[in-house]
Amino acid sequence: MKKRTSVLGAVLVAVTVTALVAATAGTAAKQATIKAAWIYVAPHNDGGWSQAHDNGRLYVQKALGSQVKTTFKENIANGPQLEQTVASLVRDGNKIIFGTSFGFFSKKLAAKYPNVLFEQATGTDQAKNLSEYFGAAEDTIYLSGMAAGAASKTGVIGYVVPFAIPEVIRHANAFALGAQATHPGAKIKLIWTNAWFDPTKEKKAAESLKSAGADVLGQNVDSPAAGQYAESVGVPWVGYDNNASKFAPKSWLTAAVYNWGPYYLSRVKAAMAGTWKSGFYYGSIKDGFTSLAPYGPGVTASTKALIAKKKAALVAGSFYEFAGPLWDQSGKLRVAKGKKLSVTDLYAMNWLVKGVIGSPKG
Amino acid sequence: MKVRIERRLTQPRWLTVAVPVGSLTAAFGLIAVVLLATGHNPAATYRDVFEAAFAANGALTQTLVNATPLLFTGLAAAAAFRMNLFNIGGEGQLYFGTIGSAAAGLLLAGQPGPIVIPAMIAGGMAAGAAWALVPAFLRAFFSTNEIITSLMLNYVAGLILTYLIFDSHSYWRDSESASAAVFPVGKALSDAASWPTIGSSVVVPLGFLIGIGVAIGIWVLYARTRFGFEVQVIGDSPRAARYAGMRTRRKILAVMALSGAIAGLGGASQIGDFRHTLDADPKGLRAYGYGYTGIVVAALARYNPFAVVLVAFLLGGLQNAGSTLQGPDFPSGLVGRCRG
Repeated sequence: MKKRTSVLGAVLVAVTVTALVAATAGTAAKQATIKAAWIYVAPHNDGGWSQAHDNGRLYVQKALGSQVKTTFKENIANGPQLEQTVASLVRDGNKIIFGTSFGFFSKKLAAKYPNVLFEQATGTDQAKNLSEYFGAAEDTIYLSGMAAGAASKTGVIGYVVPFAIPEVIRHANAFALGAQATHPGAKIKLIWTNAWFDPTKEKKAAESLKSAGADVLGQNVDSPAAGQYAESVGVPWVGYDNNASKFAPKSWLTAAVYNWGPYYLSRVKAAMAGTWKSGFYYGSIKDGFTSLAPYGPGVTASTKALIAKKKAALVAGSFYEFAGPLWDQSGKLRVAKGKKLSVTDLYAMNWLVKGVIGSPKG
Repeated sequence: MKVRIERRLTQPRWLTVAVPVGSLTAAFGLIAVVLLATGHNPAATYRDVFEAAFAANGALTQTLVNATPLLFTGLAAAAAFRMNLFNIGGEGQLYFGTIGSAAAGLLLAGQPGPIVIPAMIAGGMAAGAAWALVPAFLRAFFSTNEIITSLMLNYVAGLILTYLIFDSHSYWRDSESASAAVFPVGKALSDAASWPTIGSSVVVPLGFLIGIGVAIGIWVLYARTRFGFEVQVIGDSPRAARYAGMRTRRKILAVMALSGAIAGLGGASQIGDFRHTLDADPKGLRAYGYGYTGIVVAALARYNPFAVVLVAFLLGGLQNAGSTLQGPDFPSGLVGRCRG
């Protein structure tokens, strides 16, 4: 009888221990996994902006493995759909949400979900649980402009642009300055599409630019439609925000691209460790956030060498494209010699540099 | 023996119910096949849809957010289709409603709600009606096809929205705040211009209640008044109506204005209930296509205003479920298929 009780006791102890171990293991596993979500303005495989962000998401998933559960919502429109999307993501237990388009998150929305961390690309609103992040694409766009300038014979380059806002204006300016560095006096013609992602309009804009005399095309919009058109008519093309060479293997020159992954990883890790703090991240060519996509067959060795030299100067800080003297379209001196534009200036830029043909008002 | 297909003179009552129910059942069956083909369990998907649209915490509130604009555009379409007048311009008339009501709200900034809100409603209805009168006038006096003209004017209305916010420093555009410098937005309306809501666990926007009122109004108009009777006669047989001395032109103008005013009221509700600023972003209001979905709502409801309320609610739920459903393993294109 006594023996039986001790056996029973041993079994009981064993059961309790296993249960306890299982329970703690369970909570440990729970603590270690975090749910992170991304919201895209276009399809996740758009071949441009949203796909670059999705590559960043996959980078996080790969780096953290089972510690993180990532998800995304695509083709999201501002307004009720966005609010419903955020509500459903919060309901699903996502702790950190990245909004990859301007206007997705506001202080008001962040205040509504105080226990969720929000991160918005390209915006300026900050709150306790709302961060902003972006990077100096102007530097790499300048370099991609150099490739466009070198490829142009007539000195007329077409540039398809979405909205007449400071972000796009500074990108167009950087592109123009880069093109003029390799093709002095180059003219950059703009066509506004008034949409981030609209393949039909982008293709039409590319056609109009070609018939207006452009012999090289570039873009600040998200889809590879202009590139597919360029490929069909044998015109060199500079993409934007993602390596889209597969859409135009012969026409592809290069593109300024973003490397979102490392930033996303550091933020998700911070959220897991509880060290996440609201901030304003502006990545650069120096920390590898912005870079140039691999060159296409149309870029000559001498152009590559020129670009490499400029890139080294950018990294070293001995060159900056928005340093004076800079003139606007009417020939007025906007930035005096020895002066530099700050990030704040860049976020409010509303004038186009000399040689750009188009209105800064859209 | 010969089989002859003849048009029924009167429709039996059961058919008005059986057709929409039958088409919905067929649609669910078809989608189930698509879901199976793409490796999703149809039963589980439908359960998720129901959960996300109607059962989950806060789901009904979100469904009403989607249903409200569909209610207005559905009623706008139904009101015109009753006369065989195919107003496809609900989308553009809704945009004009947002322009008109935002103008009223901005002009009366600082005034209390009881003054601002009726003014926004009036502004939205007037602007929507005015935009609808363009194709109405062309149809009444020049016999142009209103399907084409009203449809094309939707794109014009969209471009006008773009112009007001992106391409000009119009009255509606915010050119002062810091975020407006980064991306063009409309001026924010005052808090008094936010329409009140009813309920706390399920939040019912004022616009939805107004929409139900409009549905009752339309039913009374068409079933109980001389105007409504004449409209139906013109719809059935314009020639007979003319012999009977009915004024067809006037009716065309009146019905299109009514239809446009209802769509415009939907625009006012977008401003007052939800957006509180003129939204010209192509990834904003214009991405939803409420005007076009409204045509589907009207057709499914067989132009019956009370059925429009029900169908708008169901489709609103479906749209709401769409944003919950999609994700890495459920592409947005498939969501679109299911909604269609």
